[in-house]
Amino acid sequence: MKSFKIKKLKNYLVRIVATLVVVIIISCSMTIDTVVQQGSINGGEVLPVTLNVKIKTDAERTAKLMIAVLVPKLWKVAQKGTATFVSGFTTGVQQMSIIPAGTPAPNGNGLDWPTYLSNKIGNGGNLINDWEWVAFYSKSDYALGGGLTIDDVTVSLRLPTSTDNLSFRLAYVVANSSDGLSGTDYYGSISGGCFRVNGTGDLIDFCNPQLSTIEPRTSLDNDIITIGFDAGVADNDLSKATEVYICATGITATGEKITVCAVNAASKLSSPGAGRWSKDIWPRKFFSLSDNQQLTRMEYYFTDASGGKKVGYGGGKDPFLYTFKCQ
Amino acid sequence: MNKLIGTTVCLLLIFCSCKKENTAIPAEPVKDISGSWKIIKAVRNGTDLTSRFDFSAFRINFSDSSYTIDNQVPFIISKNGTWKFDDPVYPFEITLTSPGETKQSTVLYPVVEGVRNLVISFSPGCTLNNYQYTLLKDN
Repeated sequence: MKSFKIKKLKNYLVRIVATLVVVIIISCSMTIDTVVQQGSINGGEVLPVTLNVKIKTDAERTAKLMIAVLVPKLWKVAQKGTATFVSGFTTGVQQMSIIPAGTPAPNGNGLDWPTYLSNKIGNGGNLINDWEWVAFYSKSDYALGGGLTIDDVTVSLRLPTSTDNLSFRLAYVVANSSDGLSGTDYYGSISGGCFRVNGTGDLIDFCNPQLSTIEPRTSLDNDIITIGFDAGVADNDLSKATEVYICATGITATGEKITVCAVNAASKLSSPGAGRWSKDIWPRKFFSLSDNQQLTRMEYYFTDASGGKKVGYGGGKDPFLYTFKCQ
Repeated sequence: MNKLIGTTVCLLLIFCSCKKENTAIPAEPVKDISGSWKIIKAVRNGTDLTSRFDFSAFRINFSDSSYTIDNQVPFIISKNGTWKFDDPVYPFEITLTSPGETKQSTVLYPVVEGVRNLVISFSPGCTLNNYQYTLLKDN
């Protein structure tokens, strides 16, 4: 009986030691110490970004370096962005390339990198759902010994911007092709303040809560668009409304104006609560367009059931504006 | 003697029970989509719109080579016309043609709860906005 207990105790000890060994072996922390990035840029210019990265290893490992950046989809970084790095453990500039869509992330349950990053890291505080994570792998694998602290990894990103006038919160992640995002120690992430692109057109403000947004952010009149109204963002005449309707004017390519301002089921927004309202419309049907009419713009307000209370841009009397266009 | 008869009977039974198995694989049938189809699921850029937008009246009615659309919603094509699969047995793509317009979509033809669904993907507006409709035969 006594020897059985000792055996059991030994088994437990072996398991604990084995677990500790595994933990020590797989420990490899990566952090982004600083980000060098300007606060604004002119639309269409290339944004240079430098990340200073630190890697600590507890055991020998061989893996690729992974860098990801959160950007507006409008920039098309996956098509035109570049990344390189230099470090003390490599010679010369190391090239990186976009990780093709669908490539599973390590320990990501089959998800590819952009999806895994979206689920794990999120939107970086951007309030318009028109962002994407773009991930790069180093072209080579690197073997690093254990017990190292490497604090001289300098990553250089060149991010194309679009000509759109926008503000956005950029974010960055560093990880490796072995551990992925399987634990907070294994990767480093950082996000900053609101980055401004001085471009053309209406400001697309990802950073600040908006009274009204439209999804998808780019669409044509033959898309289904979701018009949202967040009455809780700022004081307005509909803050306590129990019913909200949309009153809109569509402007066609030939300058015709079609106003739909009836209080009925077709214009009534639904609400899940907390002052948030939304309506999904198909503009071609909503504005009863004929085959040869195309919408280029839409101006809209929100009203109560009586039509007496009307809320426009910034809570005021000017309408919200939306331009029908693709990227 | 009884033992010999018993053994013989057993052997006869065993041999008679053996029959050559028919191992021929049945031919895959041509996929028949004739009939009226309704939308049971609609997804835009990964967001499920099924309960948020009224798709209930929409129907696409396929016959041998033509189709008609009732109660239009944003769809791969807006006018009546003709259709064809790239492969009638193992369709991977459907082509819809109406006067002055030809549209193609990848097509999935899964069996869900014993009935065929037709899943098509398309962009009725901006090409970056992807829609996926799951259709179910209505009759």
